Amino acid sequence: MRRVLLVEDDARVRRVLRLALEDEGFTVLEAADGGQCVESVKASPPDIMLLDVMLPDRDGFAVCREVRRGSDVPIIMVTARTDSHDVVAGLESGADDYVTKPLVAKELAARMRALLRRTEPLIGRPTRHVVSGDLDIGIDDGVVRRGGQPVNLTRTEFRLLVELASVEGRICSREHLLDRVWGYGYFGDSRIVDVHIRRLRTKVELDPASPRHVVTARGLGYRLAG
Amino acid sequence: MGGDRARMWRGRRRLLPTEGTRRGAWPGLSGSVSRGARPAPGLRRRLELTFGLLALAISVLVSVLSWVVVSGYLLADRQDTAVSETTLGSSVLAPALARGTAPVGSLLGALPTNDADASVALVSGHWYASPSATAATAAATVPPSLVAAVTSRAVAIQRVVVDGHLSLVVGAPLQRRGDALFQVFPLTELERRRTTLAWALGAAAVTTSFVGVGLGRRASRVALRPLAELTALAGAVAGGRLDVRLRSHGDPDLDPLARSFNRTVEQLEHRVRADSRFAADLSHELRTPLTTMLNSMEVIAHRRDQLPGAVREPVDLLADDLRRLRALVVDLLEISRHDAGEELQLEPVDVGELVRRAADGTAGRAVTRVEPGSDLDGHVDKRRLERVVANLVANAEHHGGGCVAVTVEGDGDTARITVDDAGPGIPEAQRGRVFDRFARAGGSGERGVGLGLAIVQRHVAAHGGTVQVTTSDAGGARLVVVLPLH
Repeated sequence: MRRVLLVEDDARVRRVLRLALEDEGFTVLEAADGGQCVESVKASPPDIMLLDVMLPDRDGFAVCREVRRGSDVPIIMVTARTDSHDVVAGLESGADDYVTKPLVAKELAARMRALLRRTEPLIGRPTRHVVSGDLDIGIDDGVVRRGGQPVNLTRTEFRLLVELASVEGRICSREHLLDRVWGYGYFGDSRIVDVHIRRLRTKVELDPASPRHVVTARGLGYRLAG
Repeated sequence: MGGDRARMWRGRRRLLPTEGTRRGAWPGLSGSVSRGARPAPGLRRRLELTFGLLALAISVLVSVLSWVVVSGYLLADRQDTAVSETTLGSSVLAPALARGTAPVGSLLGALPTNDADASVALVSGHWYASPSATAATAAATVPPSLVAAVTSRAVAIQRVVVDGHLSLVVGAPLQRRGDALFQVFPLTELERRRTTLAWALGAAAVTTSFVGVGLGRRASRVALRPLAELTALAGAVAGGRLDVRLRSHGDPDLDPLARSFNRTVEQLEHRVRADSRFAADLSHELRTPLTTMLNSMEVIAHRRDQLPGAVREPVDLLADDLRRLRALVVDLLEISRHDAGEELQLEPVDVGELVRRAADGTAGRAVTRVEPGSDLDGHVDKRRLERVVANLVANAEHHGGGCVAVTVEGDGDTARITVDDAGPGIPEAQRGRVFDRFARAGGSGERGVGLGLAIVQRHVAAHGGTVQVTTSDAGGARLVVVLPLH
């Protein structure tokens, strides 16, 4: 059973989501504020986290950044609206995806499964490497090195990089990446891709402002350059 | 990054001139300007006219006064010269007459005179004239009243008209009682001067009047400049922009107006924001209990088999209406956010592809036709355009007897999206109202169509486009969205 940490200050919402998510096959851990959340992640890391932006002790972005410092657990941010600055702020503070209220367990579970599916390590196959310039991407062991030094990526960032690497230098549209990495259809929010690309660049590029590996193809998408 | 920001900014700008419905929402601001059939002259025209008339009046007054004073002075000067000439003449003539050495006519011709036309003398009851005039003419020229005045031993002057010209006749008594010398002086020179003066003064008056009109125009322009600014801002407010304010010019006459205008707009903005915030807050607050209800219903639905038969139907009904409530709350939030003003997220999109996916997805079957040869690449807000198409198709499906066809065509500058339904069409009179919030499809008894088309209208307007209701070839309702692609 997958363990989901539910960070939400409203006790009734926690109770009902616990019941409904248990029906969907998840084990639900609860946290009522940011402090409990950070403690819980340290004590017993969950498989996935559902993090509300509005928390009584501090905002969800700060909590997200703190969790990210020591964990690459997939985080779904729960925001009030689709087009607020919360979405971008949430993604930039390290969230992998976002959902908006009101939450329905069935849709939530589908989203969580999509995130968990893609983050499962591909074990039991001969190790494959993609080398692109000074980047060495170990597709099977999940280790990325730049100039021989390991680069610390979250699982979503890693999948994004692998997806770009797998098309051998061709352009990936944002829709394609949304579909392959996040399991969204055509109408997925392309800001998710853009923010993750930005974060990826801060880790794999020497100068993220003028990227040499993850290159923008204006109006078309992104590609991995050698 | 700079490009993104520019696009964001453009998106924001596009949100501002928000369509005719908003304009209609403030009839007090747009409607109070109209007047009766024949409009009164504008303030500017009135100011020009006032300045012009004032300048005319003043210059006419000044001209008349100067004319009177100057021509009076000229006349007095002329008379003084004439009188002294005739007095001198009489003092020369009297001793000559007394000597009686020459005929009176030649004596008169020899009188020292500069400009007298004629000299005549009444001597012992007989008229004599200088060689330049006959005695009879001279006698006719001198009016009897002047003769009477002079014969009573006083110098007298009278103006007479000779051959249509004004002349001055001066009479001076001679030594013997009843004898007198009269001299006729032409006043043509004086008349000419007075005419010239009159023309000059008239021209000055006309020029001054024109200068007055010009000054009035300039003054009115300066005075009305704040009013023009006010008009522009009031227009912007009527158009839906509530963030505009009049600048203070530090003018004690105008600042109270600016302050009260700004206060009015502030209150209006406050009320509009409060209204949309109320809807936003309401739907926001509804979401927490809604989450509890929706997920509780999921837990119940998950155990539908265990429910007693008698409660299955009410639970199904409850589940349906919960779904509807959720959609309504989401719509309400969407529309209140729009009314509160927010940015578009423009990105490069193939509009034909987007419409096809949204329309076919909503209808659950292929309904879309993209005209061959169309150029539909553009920058649009993907999420909003998806809502537009989905809402139009859903509306046709639920309220128009089913969606018949969705057509997309474009020329690279604008895209045209039409959605036809299989219903009886929408009567002309109701076409403007279908985009109102909670508009009703038919009579008042029909269920409202909710917020779907109101959201369509706002999202399209936010892109700078239009949406209209017409009739399809088959007689059903046709909704036409025209959308700029850049």
